[in-house]
Amino acid sequence: MISESIITIKGLTKDFPVGSGYFRALNEVNLEFGRGEFAGLIGPSGSGKTTLLNIIGSLDTPTKGEVIVLGKDISHLNSQESASLRKEKLGFIFQSYNLLPVYTVYENVEFPLLLLNLPETERKKMVMEALEWVGLTQKVKSRPSMLSGGECQRVAIARAMVKKPIIVLADEPTANLDAENSHHILRTMATLNQELNTTFIFATHDEKVISYLKRRITLADGSLVSA
Amino acid sequence: MLSIKLAYKNLIGAGLRTWLNVFVLSLAFVIIIWHKGMLDGWDHQAKSDMIAWECGGGQYWNDKYDPNDLFTLEESHGILPQTLKELETKKEATSILISQGSIYPEGRMQSVLLKGIDPDQQILDIPSTKLKTAGSEIQVLIGEYMAKTNRLKKGDVFSMRWRTSNGAFDAADAVVAGIFKTNVPTVDAAQLWLPIETLRQMLDMPDESTILVTRQISENHPEAKGWKFQNLSILLSDVDKMIQAKSISGSILWLILMMLAMLAIFDTQVLSIFRRQKEIGTCIALGMTKGQVIRLFTIEGAMHSIFAMIVALLWGTPLLYLQAVKGITMPGDKNTYGITIADVLYPSYSLGLVASTCIIVFITTAIVSYLPSRKIAGMNPTEAIRGKIK
Ligand SMILES: Nc1ncnc2c1ncn2[C@@H]1O[C@H](COP(=O)(O)OP(=O)(O)OP(=O)(O)O)[C@@H](O)[C@H]1O
Ligand SMILES: [Mg+2]
Repeated sequence: MISESIITIKGLTKDFPVGSGYFRALNEVNLEFGRGEFAGLIGPSGSGKTTLLNIIGSLDTPTKGEVIVLGKDISHLNSQESASLRKEKLGFIFQSYNLLPVYTVYENVEFPLLLLNLPETERKKMVMEALEWVGLTQKVKSRPSMLSGGECQRVAIARAMVKKPIIVLADEPTANLDAENSHHILRTMATLNQELNTTFIFATHDEKVISYLKRRITLADGSLVSA
Repeated sequence: MLSIKLAYKNLIGAGLRTWLNVFVLSLAFVIIIWHKGMLDGWDHQAKSDMIAWECGGGQYWNDKYDPNDLFTLEESHGILPQTLKELETKKEATSILISQGSIYPEGRMQSVLLKGIDPDQQILDIPSTKLKTAGSEIQVLIGEYMAKTNRLKKGDVFSMRWRTSNGAFDAADAVVAGIFKTNVPTVDAAQLWLPIETLRQMLDMPDESTILVTRQISENHPEAKGWKFQNLSILLSDVDKMIQAKSISGSILWLILMMLAMLAIFDTQVLSIFRRQKEIGTCIALGMTKGQVIRLFTIEGAMHSIFAMIVALLWGTPLLYLQAVKGITMPGDKNTYGITIADVLYPSYSLGLVASTCIIVFITTAIVSYLPSRKIAGMNPTEAIRGKIK
């Protein structure tokens, strides 16, 4: 089933310092993800889904164990290297969209391409293509404050997808959306997964999301229940 | 390049707050330049007036002459050596003989300095040709201030008393041959100008001089025994000291303005880093390093100064230009300033002044913007993304 492993997690443990001791958010997690998966971390609140997603995204580091993402050992990346990994290969989608408020829809989607120093003509082509995927070509000049929650999340998906990353990490992408909008963005992501072979990893406890997943990974109290 | 573009968008996006900061900063800008320009203009005007009316291209002083010590004045004169005499015959210099005396206009007594000058001299702006008027009384020239304080008019006659070389007192009547207007108080207040030959006869000091004023821009300053050459930087050092003192006292105003502007920018930075932590976290998730984000925020803050320069240019240029052309009318009695000052002051704004002000303001703003931005380095991106940092 797993074609080509792009994420390998071995014996991952994550402790957070709490008071004088620590809190174990992840405990001896072993996992592997292949190219083109549409997978989700599911489990109750506090089970460690976000923590795991952040470590895969090199926004956080393991306390113990090994996490290899696209051949890079997350524990041993300096800030420069982890920034380029995110810049070039990873896309993020957040629960509260996290669009840059002073930028237009177009500029928000263009942002990751600016970081990659792509020339203007190429950027324009890619931004318009990404906005087409999410059906927002009519709103290029709008600012986030003028958009609905569903539209904001679609902009965020376009921003995550515009550079055609290998992996997209989505933490509760539907938590702030109604059913109709949730289905809309999930269908969009499922299509992109099919067409571009992008790996999607979700963290969620939303039944609607779970129903779209091709692989469900259950966490409980920081440990893997089933993969 | 990217940071500049992003910073620009962020600043414009921040709206009113940006423009308030920019306005205060532009105010500081214009006031710094105006204040410095006025002092530079004053400095320039005071020096050129002093050169024209008093200093020439430098002066030779009799070795014993000390302008701050009136008691030695009676000994500090002598006959010019040959080398200096030559300068005078070639019209490269002119002698001045100085002595003490008193005048009695309307019966009141006033101590004055008697200054003998060649009526034909063309080294100084003092209108000495007016001394060539014929008459039975001694012809004297005075400045406007002197005329005003002693209520003297052209043609007024008053008696004058002085001591001759052998110590005896002598007296004669003098007539005001002319009143001149000058910005240089040291040739005006309590100064009485008369033909040098007349003064030499009065004092019984044939051919003698106290100082020799050389022509402006003349480089010909030979050594002369018994006489020391005083160059312009010595003669004008009082102006330098004065301008320096004024510069320090005046700086307080723009220092306060500058501090206000910096405080506003610092505050904006602190607030924006706190409020925009979600944005900071997002930028990091999208692949910026913390260093890049710090740079972005620093540039954003420093850009206030660029905006301020443009805004200052817009409203400051016409204002400063107008002042440079029309001048600033100095209030009150100019002699109370105690130093050369014109009725109308023309500020001078040099490119160097504007450029150095720009650089100073830019660097200060950059530092003030950088300091709070360093906080970003300590942020945990996963918490910043959710805006959870308190
Ligand atoms: N920075 C931190 N410091 C201390 N404890 C933390 C920190 N981050 C997470 N935790 C704890 O680790 C545990 C797992 O957190 P995590 O955010 O991964 O849970 P989650 O599965 O994403 O939950 P939710 O569904 O509510 O988002 C929680 O108990 C949380 O309190
Ligand atoms: Mg979570």
